[in-house]
Amino acid sequence: MKIAIGSDAKGFELKEHMKEVLNHLGHEVLDETPDEDLDFFDATTKVVSVVQDNQADRGIIIDEYGAGPFMVANKHKGIICANVFDEHSAKMTRGHNNTSIIAIGAGIVGPKLAEKIVESYVNADYDGGRHQIRVDMLNKMC
Amino acid sequence: MRISIGCDHIVTDEKNYLVSYLEGKGHEVIDNGTYDKERTHYPIYGKKTAEKVVSGEADLGVVVCGTGVGISVSSNKVKGIRSALVGDVETARYAKETLNANVIAMGGRIVGIGLIENIIDEFLETEYQQSEANDRMIERIDALVMNEEQKNDDHYFDEFLEKWENGGYPNE
Repeated sequence: MKIAIGSDAKGFELKEHMKEVLNHLGHEVLDETPDEDLDFFDATTKVVSVVQDNQADRGIIIDEYGAGPFMVANKHKGIICANVFDEHSAKMTRGHNNTSIIAIGAGIVGPKLAEKIVESYVNADYDGGRHQIRVDMLNKMC
Repeated sequence: MRISIGCDHIVTDEKNYLVSYLEGKGHEVIDNGTYDKERTHYPIYGKKTAEKVVSGEADLGVVVCGTGVGISVSSNKVKGIRSALVGDVETARYAKETLNANVIAMGGRIVGIGLIENIIDEFLETEYQQSEANDRMIERIDALVMNEEQKNDDHYFDEFLEKWENGGYPNE
Protein backbone atom coordinates (compact mmCIF):
# COMPACT_ATOMS: atom_id res chain seq x y z
CA MET A 1 0.00 0.00 0.00
CA LYS A 2 1.11 3.57 -0.67
CA ILE A 3 0.88 5.72 2.43
CA ALA A 4 1.38 9.49 2.52
CA ILE A 5 2.69 10.78 5.83
CA GLY A 6 3.25 14.26 7.17
CA SER A 7 3.90 16.10 10.41
CA ASP A 8 4.47 19.49 11.97
CA ALA A 9 7.52 20.20 14.12
CA LYS A 10 6.04 18.54 17.21
CA GLY A 11 5.13 15.39 15.33
CA PHE A 12 8.33 15.11 13.36
CA GLU A 13 10.13 12.59 15.54
CA LEU A 14 7.15 10.22 15.70
CA LYS A 15 6.65 10.61 11.94
CA GLU A 16 10.24 9.49 11.31
CA HIS A 17 9.61 6.47 13.55
CA MET A 18 6.31 5.65 11.78
CA LYS A 19 8.09 5.72 8.41
CA GLU A 20 10.34 2.89 9.61
CA VAL A 21 7.36 0.97 11.01
CA LEU A 22 5.45 1.27 7.72
CA ASN A 23 8.49 0.28 5.66
CA HIS A 24 8.95 -2.72 7.91
CA LEU A 25 5.30 -3.69 7.30
CA GLY A 26 6.06 -3.65 3.58
CA HIS A 27 4.36 -0.38 2.62
CA GLU A 28 5.62 2.36 0.36
CA VAL A 29 5.84 5.63 2.31
CA LEU A 30 5.53 9.05 0.72
CA ASP A 31 6.96 11.61 3.14
CA GLU A 32 5.13 14.85 2.34
CA THR A 33 6.92 16.87 5.03
CA PRO A 34 10.67 16.22 4.93
CA ASP A 35 11.10 19.71 6.42
CA GLU A 36 10.70 19.89 10.16
CA ASP A 37 9.33 23.42 10.51
CA LEU A 38 5.79 23.21 9.11
CA ASP A 39 2.67 23.95 11.14
CA PHE A 40 -0.15 21.38 11.31
CA PHE A 41 -2.24 23.25 8.75
CA ASP A 42 0.37 23.08 6.01
CA ALA A 43 1.38 19.52 6.91
CA THR A 44 -2.27 18.42 6.73
CA THR A 45 -2.91 20.21 3.44
CA LYS A 46 0.06 18.44 1.83
CA VAL A 47 -1.12 14.97 2.89
CA VAL A 48 -4.74 15.77 1.93
CA SER A 49 -3.87 16.78 -1.63
CA VAL A 50 -1.84 13.61 -2.23
CA VAL A 51 -4.75 11.47 -0.99
CA GLN A 52 -7.31 13.50 -2.99
CA ASP A 53 -5.23 12.98 -6.15
CA ASN A 54 -5.10 9.23 -5.50
CA GLN A 55 -1.32 9.31 -5.40
CA ALA A 56 -1.54 7.51 -2.07
CA ASP A 57 -4.02 4.92 -0.77
CA ARG A 58 -4.13 6.43 2.71
CA GLY A 59 -2.63 9.23 4.75
CA ILE A 60 -1.25 9.75 8.24
CA ILE A 61 -0.73 13.17 9.87
CA ILE A 62 1.10 13.65 13.15
CA ASP A 63 1.21 16.77 15.32
CA GLU A 64 1.03 17.25 19.09
CA TYR A 65 -2.71 16.56 19.65
CA GLY A 66 -4.26 15.31 16.41
CA ALA A 67 -7.15 17.73 16.91
CA GLY A 68 -5.91 20.41 14.50
CA PRO A 69 -5.21 18.07 11.56
CA PHE A 70 -8.66 16.50 12.10
CA MET A 71 -10.35 19.93 11.77
CA VAL A 72 -8.36 20.88 8.68
CA ALA A 73 -8.49 17.54 6.82
CA ASN A 74 -12.25 17.09 7.22
CA LYS A 75 -12.95 20.47 5.62
CA HIS A 76 -11.68 19.04 2.33
CA LYS A 77 -13.91 17.40 -0.27
CA GLY A 78 -14.02 13.63 -0.07
CA ILE A 79 -11.70 13.41 2.92
CA ILE A 80 -12.74 11.42 5.99
CA CYS A 81 -10.14 11.80 8.72
CA ALA A 82 -10.16 10.30 12.23
CA ASN A 83 -8.15 11.50 15.21
CA VAL A 84 -7.09 8.14 16.64
CA PHE A 85 -5.71 7.28 20.08
CA ASP A 86 -6.54 3.56 20.43
CA GLU A 87 -6.22 0.40 18.33
CA HIS A 88 -9.95 -0.37 18.31
CA SER A 89 -10.89 2.98 16.76
CA ALA A 90 -8.05 2.61 14.24
CA LYS A 91 -9.56 -0.63 12.96
CA MET A 92 -13.25 0.30 13.28
CA THR A 93 -12.98 3.65 11.56
CA ARG A 94 -11.49 2.07 8.47
CA GLY A 95 -14.17 -0.63 8.50
CA HIS A 96 -17.15 1.64 9.08
CA ASN A 97 -16.18 5.17 7.95
CA ASN A 98 -13.84 4.30 5.05
CA THR A 99 -11.40 6.72 6.67
CA SER A 100 -8.72 7.80 4.23
CA ILE A 101 -6.52 9.67 6.71
CA ILE A 102 -5.76 9.26 10.40
CA ALA A 103 -4.34 11.93 12.67
CA ILE A 104 -2.19 11.03 15.68
CA GLY A 105 -1.20 13.35 18.52
CA ALA A 106 2.42 12.63 19.40
CA GLY A 107 1.97 14.47 22.71
CA ILE A 108 -0.90 12.14 23.67
CA VAL A 109 -0.10 8.79 22.06
CA GLY A 110 3.23 7.13 22.92
CA PRO A 111 5.42 5.51 20.24
CA LYS A 112 4.39 1.92 21.01
CA LEU A 113 0.66 2.68 20.88
CA ALA A 114 1.20 4.73 17.71
CA GLU A 115 2.83 1.69 16.07
CA LYS A 116 -0.16 -0.47 16.96
CA ILE A 117 -2.64 2.16 15.79
CA VAL A 118 -0.93 2.49 12.42
CA GLU A 119 -0.69 -1.28 12.06
CA SER A 120 -4.39 -1.75 12.94
CA TYR A 121 -5.39 1.00 10.53
CA VAL A 122 -3.42 -0.18 7.49
CA ASN A 123 -4.43 -3.81 8.03
CA ALA A 124 -8.17 -3.00 8.18
CA ASP A 125 -10.43 -2.97 5.13
CA TYR A 126 -13.56 -0.95 4.52
CA ASP A 127 -16.68 -3.06 5.22
CA GLY A 128 -18.95 -1.30 2.69
CA GLY A 129 -22.50 -2.63 2.89
CA ARG A 130 -24.87 -0.52 5.02
CA HIS A 131 -21.99 1.79 5.97
CA GLN A 132 -21.90 3.19 2.43
CA ILE A 133 -24.99 5.36 2.92
CA ARG A 134 -23.21 7.26 5.72
CA VAL A 135 -20.05 7.61 3.68
CA ASP A 136 -22.13 8.92 0.74
CA MET A 137 -23.67 11.50 3.09
CA LEU A 138 -20.26 12.65 4.36
CA ASN A 139 -18.87 12.94 0.85
CA LYS A 140 -21.85 15.02 -0.27
CA MET A 141 -21.28 17.46 2.62
CA CYS A 142 -17.74 18.18 1.43
CA MET B 1 -24.95 27.61 28.61
CA ARG B 2 -27.02 26.25 25.74
CA ILE B 3 -25.68 22.93 24.52
CA SER B 4 -26.66 21.20 21.28
CA ILE B 5 -26.30 17.42 21.52
CA GLY B 6 -26.59 14.56 19.03
CA CYS B 7 -25.85 10.85 18.66
CA ASP B 8 -26.52 7.80 16.52
CA HIS B 9 -28.47 4.68 17.52
CA ILE B 10 -25.43 2.92 19.00
CA VAL B 11 -25.14 5.32 21.95
CA THR B 12 -28.67 6.63 22.58
CA ASP B 13 -28.49 5.61 26.27
CA GLU B 14 -25.18 7.43 26.75
CA LYS B 15 -26.57 10.55 25.03
CA ASN B 16 -29.70 10.47 27.20
CA TYR B 17 -27.49 10.24 30.28
CA LEU B 18 -25.45 13.23 29.07
CA VAL B 19 -28.61 15.29 28.52
CA SER B 20 -29.55 14.80 32.18
CA TYR B 21 -25.93 15.33 33.29
CA LEU B 22 -25.79 18.68 31.49
CA GLU B 23 -29.25 19.74 32.66
CA GLY B 24 -28.22 18.83 36.19
CA LYS B 25 -25.36 21.31 35.85
CA GLY B 26 -27.82 24.02 34.90
CA HIS B 27 -27.32 24.01 31.14
CA GLU B 28 -30.10 24.27 28.58
CA VAL B 29 -29.88 21.28 26.24
CA ILE B 30 -31.15 21.00 22.67
CA ASP B 31 -31.44 17.26 21.98
CA ASN B 32 -31.19 16.66 18.22
CA GLY B 33 -31.64 12.90 18.50
CA THR B 34 -31.56 10.20 17.62
CA TYR B 35 -34.16 9.33 20.26
CA ASP B 36 -34.36 5.54 20.03
CA LYS B 37 -32.22 2.59 18.97
CA GLU B 38 -33.62 2.07 15.51
CA ARG B 39 -30.80 1.90 12.95
CA THR B 40 -30.14 5.34 11.52
CA HIS B 41 -27.22 7.36 10.10
CA TYR B 42 -24.82 9.54 12.08
CA PRO B 43 -24.39 12.38 9.49
CA ILE B 44 -28.04 13.39 10.03
CA TYR B 45 -27.38 14.09 13.72
CA GLY B 46 -23.84 15.46 13.32
CA LYS B 47 -25.10 18.03 10.81
CA LYS B 48 -28.20 18.95 12.83
CA THR B 49 -26.28 19.36 16.10
CA ALA B 50 -23.58 21.46 14.42
CA GLU B 51 -26.04 23.76 12.65
CA LYS B 52 -27.58 24.79 15.98
CA VAL B 53 -24.12 25.97 17.05
CA VAL B 54 -23.46 27.88 13.83
CA SER B 55 -26.87 29.58 13.99
CA GLY B 56 -26.25 30.67 17.58
CA GLU B 57 -29.21 28.70 18.96
CA ALA B 58 -26.61 26.84 21.01
CA ASP B 59 -23.27 27.99 22.40
CA LEU B 60 -21.48 24.68 21.97
CA GLY B 61 -22.11 21.16 20.68
CA VAL B 62 -21.55 17.63 21.98
CA VAL B 63 -21.70 14.64 19.62
CA VAL B 64 -21.31 10.94 20.34
CA CYS B 65 -21.38 7.77 18.22
CA GLY B 66 -19.65 4.38 18.57
CA THR B 67 -16.08 5.56 17.94
CA GLY B 68 -17.06 9.24 17.70
CA VAL B 69 -15.50 9.43 14.25
CA GLY B 70 -18.54 9.44 11.97
CA ILE B 71 -20.54 11.99 13.91
CA SER B 72 -17.55 14.27 14.53
CA VAL B 73 -16.54 14.24 10.86
CA SER B 74 -20.09 15.15 9.82
CA SER B 75 -20.22 17.99 12.36
CA ASN B 76 -16.87 19.33 11.15
CA LYS B 77 -18.07 19.36 7.54
CA VAL B 78 -20.53 22.13 8.49
CA LYS B 79 -19.14 25.59 7.73
CA GLY B 80 -18.10 27.44 10.88
CA ILE B 81 -17.65 24.30 12.96
CA ARG B 82 -14.37 23.28 14.52
CA SER B 83 -15.00 19.87 16.00
CA ALA B 84 -12.58 18.00 18.25
CA LEU B 85 -12.65 14.20 18.50
CA VAL B 86 -11.00 13.36 21.82
CA GLY B 87 -10.40 10.54 24.26
CA ASP B 88 -8.79 12.53 27.06
CA VAL B 89 -9.28 15.74 29.02
CA GLU B 90 -6.01 17.39 27.94
CA THR B 91 -6.88 17.29 24.22
CA ALA B 92 -10.29 18.82 25.02
CA ARG B 93 -8.56 21.65 26.89
CA TYR B 94 -6.12 22.26 24.02
CA ALA B 95 -8.84 22.20 21.35
CA LYS B 96 -10.93 24.83 23.17
CA GLU B 97 -8.06 26.99 24.39
CA THR B 98 -6.05 27.09 21.16
CA LEU B 99 -8.44 26.26 18.31
CA ASN B 100 -11.65 27.56 19.94
CA ALA B 101 -13.35 24.23 19.17
CA ASN B 102 -17.14 24.62 19.22
CA VAL B 103 -18.12 20.93 19.11
CA ILE B 104 -16.64 18.14 21.25
CA ALA B 105 -16.92 14.50 20.12
CA MET B 106 -16.30 11.20 21.85
CA GLY B 107 -16.77 7.52 21.15
CA GLY B 108 -19.39 6.04 23.46
CA ARG B 109 -17.83 2.62 22.89
CA ILE B 110 -14.30 4.01 23.43
CA VAL B 111 -14.42 6.38 26.40
CA GLY B 112 -16.00 5.48 29.76
CA ILE B 113 -18.75 7.65 31.19
CA GLY B 114 -16.62 9.12 34.00
CA LEU B 115 -14.02 10.35 31.55
CA ILE B 116 -16.73 11.59 29.18
CA GLU B 117 -18.10 13.75 32.02
CA ASN B 118 -14.62 15.15 32.74
CA ILE B 119 -14.00 15.86 29.05
CA ILE B 120 -17.30 17.73 28.70
CA ASP B 121 -16.66 19.71 31.91
CA GLU B 122 -13.21 20.73 30.69
CA PHE B 123 -14.54 21.65 27.24
CA LEU B 124 -17.30 23.85 28.66
CA GLU B 125 -15.12 25.50 31.31
CA THR B 126 -11.97 26.20 29.29
CA GLU B 127 -11.83 29.61 27.67
CA TYR B 128 -10.35 30.36 24.30
CA GLN B 129 -6.99 32.12 24.69
CA GLN B 130 -7.03 34.84 22.11
CA SER B 131 -3.69 35.56 20.45
CA GLU B 132 -2.58 36.63 16.99
CA ALA B 133 -1.34 33.12 16.20
CA ASN B 134 -4.50 31.39 17.46
CA ASP B 135 -6.82 33.84 15.68
CA ARG B 136 -4.87 33.44 12.46
CA MET B 137 -4.99 29.62 12.57
CA ILE B 138 -8.75 29.67 13.19
CA GLU B 139 -9.23 32.07 10.27
CA ARG B 140 -7.31 29.71 8.00
CA ILE B 141 -9.42 26.72 9.09
CA ASP B 142 -12.69 28.64 8.68
CA ALA B 143 -11.64 29.92 5.24
CA LEU B 144 -11.25 26.45 3.75
CA VAL B 145 -13.63 26.03 0.85
CA MET B 146 -16.94 24.72 2.13
CA ASN B 147 -20.29 23.68 0.81
CA GLU B 148 -22.93 26.30 1.67
CA GLU B 149 -25.89 24.70 -0.13
CA GLN B 150 -26.32 22.10 2.66
CA LYS B 151 -26.91 24.79 5.30
CA ASN B 152 -30.04 24.13 7.38
CA ASP B 153 -31.36 21.83 4.62
CA ASP B 154 -33.18 19.04 6.43
CA HIS B 155 -33.70 17.24 3.11
CA TYR B 156 -30.05 17.29 2.09
CA PHE B 157 -29.68 13.51 2.50
CA ASP B 158 -33.06 12.54 1.01
CA GLU B 159 -31.59 10.96 -2.13
CA PHE B 160 -29.60 8.50 0.00
CA LEU B 161 -32.47 7.82 2.42
CA GLU B 162 -34.73 7.06 -0.51
CA LYS B 163 -32.16 4.67 -1.95
CA TRP B 164 -31.88 3.05 1.52
CA GLU B 165 -35.67 2.66 1.78
CA ASN B 166 -35.74 1.07 -1.65
CA GLY B 167 -33.11 -1.50 -0.73
CA GLY B 168 -30.37 0.29 -2.65
CA TYR B 169 -27.82 -0.36 0.11
CA PRO B 170 -26.99 -3.85 1.38
CA ASN B 171 -28.53 -4.41 4.81
CA GLU B 172 -25.44 -5.99 6.35
